[in-house]
Amino acid sequence: MRIKKGFILRTVCGENVIVGEGLDAINFGRMLCLNETATFIWKKAQEYGEFTAEKLAVAVCHEYDVDLLQARTDVKETLDNWTKLGVIE
Amino acid sequence: MREQYYIVAEHLFCLEADDGILAQMANYEPFRTEQSNDALFSLTVTDGGPIQYVEELSQDEEGQDIVCGHTEQGEPVFEFRFGGKTAGWLVCSAGYREGTLYLSGFQTKAAVDNALMIQFAMASATQNTVLFHAAAVSLDGKGYMFLGKSGTGKSTHARLWLQNIPDTELMNDDNPAVRIKADGTAVVYGTPWSGKTPCYRNVSAPLGGIVLLSQAPYNKIVRLKGIGAYAAVVPSISGKRWDERIADGLHETENALASNIQVWHLDCLPDADAAHTCKDAIAI
Repeated sequence: MRIKKGFILRTVCGENVIVGEGLDAINFGRMLCLNETATFIWKKAQEYGEFTAEKLAVAVCHEYDVDLLQARTDVKETLDNWTKLGVIE
Repeated sequence: MREQYYIVAEHLFCLEADDGILAQMANYEPFRTEQSNDALFSLTVTDGGPIQYVEELSQDEEGQDIVCGHTEQGEPVFEFRFGGKTAGWLVCSAGYREGTLYLSGFQTKAAVDNALMIQFAMASATQNTVLFHAAAVSLDGKGYMFLGKSGTGKSTHARLWLQNIPDTELMNDDNPAVRIKADGTAVVYGTPWSGKTPCYRNVSAPLGGIVLLSQAPYNKIVRLKGIGAYAAVVPSISGKRWDERIADGLHETENALASNIQVWHLDCLPDADAAHTCKDAIAI
């Protein structure tokens, strides 16, 4: 999986938000607020370019005090939501 | 060809064109200056075209199309069409600091206005400045801006302030500029661009508040904060957000506005009570 072209992370009034600014994302027409974990997942996904849910879950495990099982659940939930909204492919 | 210099929102720019075109620039007269150092951008107007380019995006507003693209060499191009017919092509270089407008001979004045607005918006985006689609009024030394989609009644609401709130003045009816100064204060400026209302005033005021308007069968005002304020402001700002440098510049200004300026959402009727409801909330 990868983040679709044109979606970027911005800090708006201290909060982390995904906005569509590229040519392919200009009609996204909404802003997606991320909590701390989701922000971490986004940044990791960005860093990896091409990523898998498992790779992100491992990264979450390293960063936060959660077991792999919990991390997998969190990552899956986040990625499912992003897929539904069309910000990753 | 002659050069003329103008200052809008404290940005100096140069227009180079023949006398026939310069004679049509009455709306720019209040902004004219003899100063000619450190121009933010310069626009040269000439006959010519068509320009070959690759289309990126077409924006259509009120029978007017602006098609954005780039030449084979990667220079940004903007084509202006009115009722489907091309008035001119703007080709930019050096980070929008230099522009050439090639006129087709149709709707010459509108093409020059569009080219200057676009170059101003693009070149100033990285200089803490944004060009709004809004109506702006001043009262007691402060400026207030009314935003909304086309047809929402921005001009109507501004007029209701003028008619019902003593000492209100119209600063601009369609395209005021806002600049974040070095000390962090936001200032709203009149510009030579004002839509259908001829209001080309070289005035400025500290920005006191921003109000997003929606039509409703009642008058009600609520404060927007944080992301809500940001989301209200962004759609009213001209830009080319798929150009990262411009997007970053616009975001910085938009974030400063959402963080430091009061932003409200007004559901309103086109009546005197709407103006009073609005004023009582924002102009204390």
